[in-house]
Amino acid sequence: MNHLAAALSVAALLASIASPARATVNVVTTTEGLAAVAREVGGEKVKVTALSRGIQDPHFVDANPSLAVKLRNADLLLDVGMDLEIGWLPPLVIQSRNAAIQPGGARRLTAGTAVPPLDLPTGPVDRSQGDIHPSGNPHFLSDPRRVQLVAAAIAARLSEIDPGSAAYFQERLQAFRARVAAAEKDWKAQLAPVEGRSVITQHKTLTYLLDWAGLQAAGYLEPKPGVSPPPSHVAGLAAVVKSAGVKGVLVESYYDPRSANQLRDLTGVKVIVIPGDVGGAKDAQDWFSWVDALVKALVQAVQ
Amino acid sequence: MVNIALLSLLAAQAAAPDLGAQGQPFPTGALNVGSPGGIPIGKLMLMPEIAVVVDGALGYTTLSNGQQELSALVLPQHKVWPLLQEVELAFQATIDPYVRGDVFLTFAPDGVEVEEAYLTTLSLPWGLGVKAGKIYSPFGRTSQLHRHQWTFVDQPPSMQRLVGADGLGGAGGDVAWLTPLPWFAELHLAYQATAPGFANVLQLTGVARLIQYFDLSDSATLGVGLSWALFQAETPEQWKNLAGADLYVKFRDPSSRSSVVLQGEIYGRQLGDQVFSQARWGGYAQAVWRLDRSWEVGARYDNAPAPVALAPGTQQTWTALGSFYTSEFFRIRVQPSLVLLPGGQNGFQGIASFEFTIGAHAAHPF
Repeated sequence: MNHLAAALSVAALLASIASPARATVNVVTTTEGLAAVAREVGGEKVKVTALSRGIQDPHFVDANPSLAVKLRNADLLLDVGMDLEIGWLPPLVIQSRNAAIQPGGARRLTAGTAVPPLDLPTGPVDRSQGDIHPSGNPHFLSDPRRVQLVAAAIAARLSEIDPGSAAYFQERLQAFRARVAAAEKDWKAQLAPVEGRSVITQHKTLTYLLDWAGLQAAGYLEPKPGVSPPPSHVAGLAAVVKSAGVKGVLVESYYDPRSANQLRDLTGVKVIVIPGDVGGAKDAQDWFSWVDALVKALVQAVQ
Repeated sequence: MVNIALLSLLAAQAAAPDLGAQGQPFPTGALNVGSPGGIPIGKLMLMPEIAVVVDGALGYTTLSNGQQELSALVLPQHKVWPLLQEVELAFQATIDPYVRGDVFLTFAPDGVEVEEAYLTTLSLPWGLGVKAGKIYSPFGRTSQLHRHQWTFVDQPPSMQRLVGADGLGGAGGDVAWLTPLPWFAELHLAYQATAPGFANVLQLTGVARLIQYFDLSDSATLGVGLSWALFQAETPEQWKNLAGADLYVKFRDPSSRSSVVLQGEIYGRQLGDQVFSQARWGGYAQAVWRLDRSWEVGARYDNAPAPVALAPGTQQTWTALGSFYTSEFFRIRVQPSLVLLPGGQNGFQGIASFEFTIGAHAAHPF
């Protein structure tokens, strides 16, 4: 009996060595928005680092080799996908030497694979259409419906990485969904009186949010994605403002506001600067406060 | 394989939670809704990423061919001369879960060349990475760049004279170790057969480089590099040592597209029969200010050994740059240079250049 107990003890010891209890999962995200969602789901079981900041245009982050150091020991790389980070993430991932986070790797989760995209091109694609994303519009995280899909995908992947905490991640996912549902009621109540109205935005960054909110984009300051607005385009938008009854223009803080200001001078529309992501403003430090700021900006823009 | 990929995507979509049950259905317009993450057709077909980069220019110089010795851009004297400098064809793809492949072919007036063709490992342990094939040597900062990655229209004359008109490169391998230090510190050791532009003979070459980056603040990054190349010296005329040091500082407010980059390199070359005090030195310093998404200006000072016909002495070159980007895929540059040669044989060179890219989106240079 003593021998059996000793053998079981040794076996237990070996098992504990073979699968040690994981402290925290080191999650690296490409954006602060994804970092915020990862924190919501991962709680104290994850350590989350974002490669870019909410004040940055995520299309144009520098491929600073220092970022590869952050990726070197990542247990999970969470990226947006749909070519949003194509200009800077691929060389960093190679430089990191982290085999598991290479495209298709077990520790790589591309959030864009978890959501149904909008703005999918329906015909031939070339750059005469601007700097378009052939896989769809990557600015989906402000949509309260799609963020839940992303959160579910994160919970599932974290559970694969740390099976011992799977129940914890699921519990936090459910709590996050409940908070989103509650917040949605409040936001929808704010938006209900203005449903169907139109705004103008700089880039197609609010497509998903407008779709969820029941609002419309009457036009964009960029004549085509990624193309600077020429004065003739701004002048053309002035006519759109009048015909569609647009009252406000929304511009992310990382964009040059000169074209929006020109449109304001021409038509009298309000120019509202919005945070492009979580961390893009002092009052947008987590996903809820970021979307709250966007909803308030939408309401302000259409009144 | 394509069918399997499609089925996987469709299965993933079917497995996604249906929030429509909560009374907030997703948009159902057939034109707008696709599979999760979209379907990049090219990737489903397992095609490599393909890009073509074309560089053309209109140049004028008061310098003779001899005074432009070892320049990658030689212009006829006193003529406004159109040039198609280079067409680069790039193919890039992951080969399998362990390696990726990159092939760059260049079509230039003097012929077709494999500029680089190499594999890169993706999954070696201990921070190791290997590139093997025909590669640029891990020497210096600017000598490893392809033409479309140059900020200026030409390379610094000191690099062309002391390292090679087209940089340094050849068949071989480069083992790079990303050290476990908390900042980016990478050590390269390469073994290649290189053909320095002025020797025109393949030389067995060993190269070592240490490159480090430090984040000075949220908006400033410092890069420091040290490089050394050792060449097999078969005759006393063959140079055998090449050393380089480079410094790079980038200032960029993260919320802005504007940035300022200060950069400099020094090179030292010691021939086989020279003592250290006889080594030739050169280098450059440049400042480039990206004003916004469209405009960029820069200035460069270069100090290089004078062309052989004018040696000994040094050539000093002052260069200004103005660039306009209509997008990430097209730029126009204007670059006047004042060249100061020994004996007061000074000259002027002016280049107007265009460059465009079709095909895959390349990474933004840092």
